[in-house]
Amino acid sequence: MKQIQMTTNPSFSLISTKKIIQMSDVWTSYDSKNFALEGINLSIDRGTIYSIVGQSGSGKSTLLKLMNGMMVPGKGIIKIDYVTPDMNNKKFKTMMHTIGYIPQSLGLIKNITVLDNILIGALPRLNKIQSLLKKFPENEVKEAKRILQLVGLTGKENRKVYMISGGEKRRVAIARALMQKPTILLADEIVSELDHVTAHEIMDLIIDVQKRTNLTAIMVHHDMQLALEYANRVAVIKDGKKILEIGVEGDNIVDFQTGDMTTEEIMEMYSDDTKK
Amino acid sequence: MTPKNNIIIGIIVALLVIASYNVDANPIDFVEGLPNLLIILEEIVAVEPKYIPTALWAMFETIQMAFIGTVVGIAIALPLSMLAARNLNSKFVYAPIRALLAAIRTFPSILWALLFVIMVGTGTFAGVLAIIMYTIGFIAKLQYEAIETIDSDPMDAVGSIGVSKVQLISYVVIPESASHLLSQMLYMFDYNIRQTSILGLVGAGGIGFYIINYIKFFEYGKAAIFMLVVLITVLVIDWVSVKIRDKYIIKSQHGMDVPTK
Repeated sequence: MKQIQMTTNPSFSLISTKKIIQMSDVWTSYDSKNFALEGINLSIDRGTIYSIVGQSGSGKSTLLKLMNGMMVPGKGIIKIDYVTPDMNNKKFKTMMHTIGYIPQSLGLIKNITVLDNILIGALPRLNKIQSLLKKFPENEVKEAKRILQLVGLTGKENRKVYMISGGEKRRVAIARALMQKPTILLADEIVSELDHVTAHEIMDLIIDVQKRTNLTAIMVHHDMQLALEYANRVAVIKDGKKILEIGVEGDNIVDFQTGDMTTEEIMEMYSDDTKK
Repeated sequence: MTPKNNIIIGIIVALLVIASYNVDANPIDFVEGLPNLLIILEEIVAVEPKYIPTALWAMFETIQMAFIGTVVGIAIALPLSMLAARNLNSKFVYAPIRALLAAIRTFPSILWALLFVIMVGTGTFAGVLAIIMYTIGFIAKLQYEAIETIDSDPMDAVGSIGVSKVQLISYVVIPESASHLLSQMLYMFDYNIRQTSILGLVGAGGIGFYIINYIKFFEYGKAAIFMLVVLITVLVIDWVSVKIRDKYIIKSQHGMDVPTK
């Protein structure tokens, strides 16, 4: 609160606050009877890695779509940097420019090159003429090539996306999101179909970028082990409800939702859940 | 073969006979008319070769008409197809555009030609306008259907960056539907050459103008030479477009199935 009083620019004080994403009693439904999410509460700290784990159809992907405004909740409040995510909200539309979203299918354009796919992340920064002529300024192309190198795709910039491997495609999708100069990265099962080694390579890459840029990364995973290995906090979603929120502190797994479960109880609950 | 099928086949055959009788389509006339082809053949052999350059020139003119009609038609059709696609617009935009396109398509090219002959007079320009109209109706429909079938994931992913609709179209929709478009352009050009060849029948220029006039004056040999030129040209263009399609379109479509790491 002190910070708000100290500064004359209120938007600056909001950006500097700790919580970047807040959800309060969020409900969504695909039709009148079946709820995709039921009463979700969560809050995510700026500059952390937050994982969402659950089985197929549990509502994990829906959560991400709510965070980038592609879906609006039926009930409840969502705030991203104190702005309600909604594509029709002008203020949020500007915020979308710096929210990197990687859908499960990656959403790459297959018939164009790796470099052109990455440059798409810079589209909001082009003026109308540059956009119409498809002419990216020199500094953006340079930045795209820098990111290309960062994600380990040097030499592949002129390949068409349909010519590269699955692991490389994921790197392109990450690079496109990084090109947005994101403050938030939303990634939906980005490593789920990859082998162990490649999955860790991709995750290490994201962690590396996250540390360098103080990015907030929200990642949906299938694999609890992987989520715990990389995330500060892990939320477990089951049948549209958040049943657990845990994190690793030292050698212990701590229950942040109720605060009264021990590491053993959590592990037992988790193993029960995966058996099902 | 079930009795129900037999009844259906019986009805179709009966309708065929009745309709043929009504329109005076007699197969015996066809057989009796066959020797007449020999007369044309004799006349072709007798025609002096000096008509061949005229026929080739007329064909060249026809190709140029088809080319202008195809290019201009596609240039107009593309923005219309973007407006007619359901996944890019609201109902208030796509519904009237679709109705307009459907209205354009109801006229075959020869009727458009007739209309434009009345408007701008006889000659090649009326033919070009007719081809433009036909191309608009046809390509816009094929293209909005292609746009509606493109993968929604890249659109969602790029849309979530908060880009404008114009950017979404030029950076996602056009590249994603490009292979369809190239194939349609080739097909349309090919088809328009055949169409333009007959527009001369209503005075709208092209090689058809010569053919109809020779036939009117019973100069079947000369007419046949011109028809032969059309036949050969269409075959050559067909062959070329198959080659282009194999090289650029089929390859890019197959290239998508690259095994993942």
